[in-house]
Amino acid sequence: MAQPAATSAASANASETPIVSLAHVTLAYGDLRALDNISLDVHQGERLCVLGANGSGKSTLASVICGLLAPDAGEVTLVGEKVFTAGAADFDAYRRARRKLGLVFQNPENLGLPPERIEHLVRRELHRVAMERYAKADPARLSGGQRQRVTIAGALAMEPRVLVLDEPSSSLDVRGRRSVMKVVEKLRGVGCTVVHVTHFMDEALGADRVMVLDHGHIALVGTPQEVFSHVEEVRDLGLEEPFAGRLSSQLRERGLDVSWTCDEDALLADLARRTSGHRSGRAAAAPGTAPHTAAAPVVRAEDVRFSYEQSRCRRRRADAAPAALDGVTLDVPRGAHVALVGQTGSGKSTLLRLIAALEVPDQGSIEVDGISTADRRERRRLHGRVGYVMQRPERQLFAETVAQDVAYGPSNLGLSPSEVDQRVKRALDLVGLAGKDDASPFQLSGGQQRLCALAGILAMEPDLLVLDEPTAGLDPRGRRKLRRILDGLNATGTTLVEVTHAMEDAARADLVAVLDDGRVVLTGTPAQVFSADNAEKLHDMGLGVPHPLAFARALEDAGCAPLGDPLTNEALADAIADAAGATGAPCAPAADGRDE
Amino acid sequence: MALRISVGQYYAADSPIHQLDPRAKATCALALMIATFFVHSPLGLAAVAASVLALLAAARVPAGEVLSSVRGVLWVLLVLAVFNLLLIRDGSVLLAAGPITITTGGAWSAVLYPVRVFAAIVVGALLLLTTTPTELGDAFDAACSPLTKLGLPGHELAMVFSLMLRFIPTLANDASAIMDAQVARGGEVARGSLGRRLRAVGSVLVALMASSMHHADDLARALDARCYESGGTRSHWHPLHFGARDAVAFAATAALVALLVTLG
Repeated sequence: MAQPAATSAASANASETPIVSLAHVTLAYGDLRALDNISLDVHQGERLCVLGANGSGKSTLASVICGLLAPDAGEVTLVGEKVFTAGAADFDAYRRARRKLGLVFQNPENLGLPPERIEHLVRRELHRVAMERYAKADPARLSGGQRQRVTIAGALAMEPRVLVLDEPSSSLDVRGRRSVMKVVEKLRGVGCTVVHVTHFMDEALGADRVMVLDHGHIALVGTPQEVFSHVEEVRDLGLEEPFAGRLSSQLRERGLDVSWTCDEDALLADLARRTSGHRSGRAAAAPGTAPHTAAAPVVRAEDVRFSYEQSRCRRRRADAAPAALDGVTLDVPRGAHVALVGQTGSGKSTLLRLIAALEVPDQGSIEVDGISTADRRERRRLHGRVGYVMQRPERQLFAETVAQDVAYGPSNLGLSPSEVDQRVKRALDLVGLAGKDDASPFQLSGGQQRLCALAGILAMEPDLLVLDEPTAGLDPRGRRKLRRILDGLNATGTTLVEVTHAMEDAARADLVAVLDDGRVVLTGTPAQVFSADNAEKLHDMGLGVPHPLAFARALEDAGCAPLGDPLTNEALADAIADAAGATGAPCAPAADGRDE
Repeated sequence: MALRISVGQYYAADSPIHQLDPRAKATCALALMIATFFVHSPLGLAAVAASVLALLAAARVPAGEVLSSVRGVLWVLLVLAVFNLLLIRDGSVLLAAGPITITTGGAWSAVLYPVRVFAAIVVGALLLLTTTPTELGDAFDAACSPLTKLGLPGHELAMVFSLMLRFIPTLANDASAIMDAQVARGGEVARGSLGRRLRAVGSVLVALMASSMHHADDLARALDARCYESGGTRSHWHPLHFGARDAVAFAATAALVALLVTLG
């Protein structure tokens, strides 16, 4: 790999000995080489981001760096301790080194343990992650973002010299992710060395150095700008371009002479210069009218109220008991793609469970396909027709082979064996798992398990699919693939109701419903919901607007002419190209020269 | 959400009971629970009721919170009361109608036994509501320490105990999510032929087992990452110390137990 390894940040520290040093490290699980001849130096105070598709060896590397796994070959030096040399591990050195290393990983599991450190340390760390108020709360009852911050506090309480974060935010919502990233930013301020493994490209932009792994090799390494400028390679490695990178590429395609960058602020400043003062007189696009309004709704929820049993039986607090849903009215047109958005605890998942006829409303009614979910006998008929994809659906896998697992649903419908076989085959073809019929579902990779679980639901051939954060925890390639499958289903007439945390996903839906505190507060097309009038309301509810729209607003604030309401990158690029059309050409070369 | 597990349902509040040393609290609660079974007289029963109410007030836990955590037992107690009422034939007859004979002895038993058991259960529930799982684990650890002196893994046992408390709600959530998913796939445990039901149970249990394995893997990694070593010396964040407060609790409990036993 002839990538520029020495970066400005690393070379500044080159005189010091690196705090973590791996030389020709190889580690294999059976026949699979998880790490293959990896050499890497991490310097004091550096923030290194490790990217890569699922199965590229990221987590293994994280485990080696924090001393949890010894390699098969190579040399490892951690915080000055030569823990692995000449094919042998020095366990005493490992033990000494481990006390100076902290690890935080995907599922904050490690919570029942008392943080065995003295009081002021714990207080200080909780303060640092802004969780002081919850010092005595039971960790099992915190939200995901809160839990992850507690976990980081737990790791920090040991005063590590290096903190290794293994996908700390992969199972969090946008707000949780932001809060974890804020903590990571703060750590850099106090000189803690951070090694951060992530699936989110935008999180990598703040790093000093980015490293991309592919099948155990280092595929790319350099500053974020250097790494992401290899657009094609990055994409082939199963990753995606950061927002600004994609936008600048798209602008270049549209003939605008901007230089490629993945630094959003720089791009914003550059574009503001080109477009400011120039009035294109382009009218804001009128919000489109809702499609599908003519079709009869497939789901009709009317004035639904629902609270979980526990709060119902506490008569004393009955009035104060928060209902999970209160006065929810929602129509889902047949064949539509509806996105439910809202903060954690706003009642999105509860609404999905009610639509899937897994719960019955306390008040009001839900009709699916004209069948009321309150009717016990009728409700069972719905269990075949409404496909329910829970959060992390791979948890539902249980059978010995993929085919048997996928066949579970259709055979419960009482279909003939030949019909079941056909459906299994169709479903596996649809998700791209054909040929894996006889594999054990537990041997599949994480992304494949998700697809296998989805196939198990699709094999029942539901007309309505309700999905609870279907792409959470997947790598970019997995997210793209699942998106394609869902779009395909929607195009062939399946109605989709999807809970999502990504506003960019919501922007692609036909309809968006915003829930807050158990109520539907906004419904409409993405253009209506994300219109300028609602921006403040959304912000108050802890929600954002799609990234392209936020960028357009920022550009307008910087003096650009109105850009309309672009919800997708394509629309944004078109709008900017329009606005900059006349002024773009003359000032471009000068801008380029200054940027290099 | 279908399963509500009350173990480890810590209710955060700042009360004298919350602040007791967990070892003292557990010992006192146990002594009190046993003492309730020595009560046979109306005066004794009144003393039990009064002391439980006083404890409730001191713990500053809303009565609703306590009731909801012992809700399941109430039905059992009701059945117990009815059986006592109908089956005990001591004392004078109050009412005789056909096969039903109610005597003074029966009526008294129908009050005494359920109230006694209920009082004991409320004391137990209060212990769980006012003690964090970590503190409970520490108390258990202390109870196991004689084992350590005998060379048995006392601390490890306590660790297993507190981890168990920690994971009950997690696994209960997993179980109900998996059950939902299988019901949506037509696998309902409560319906169909025996074969179908067994298959449905299997689909939930195997999936739950797999997810427990994931939790166990992650937990092992977490323990490693936090330098937990079997047999290692461990520092405690809040080293347990008996204080004046605990002495008062011990004295009060001893007096109460003596009172209950003498009142009979």
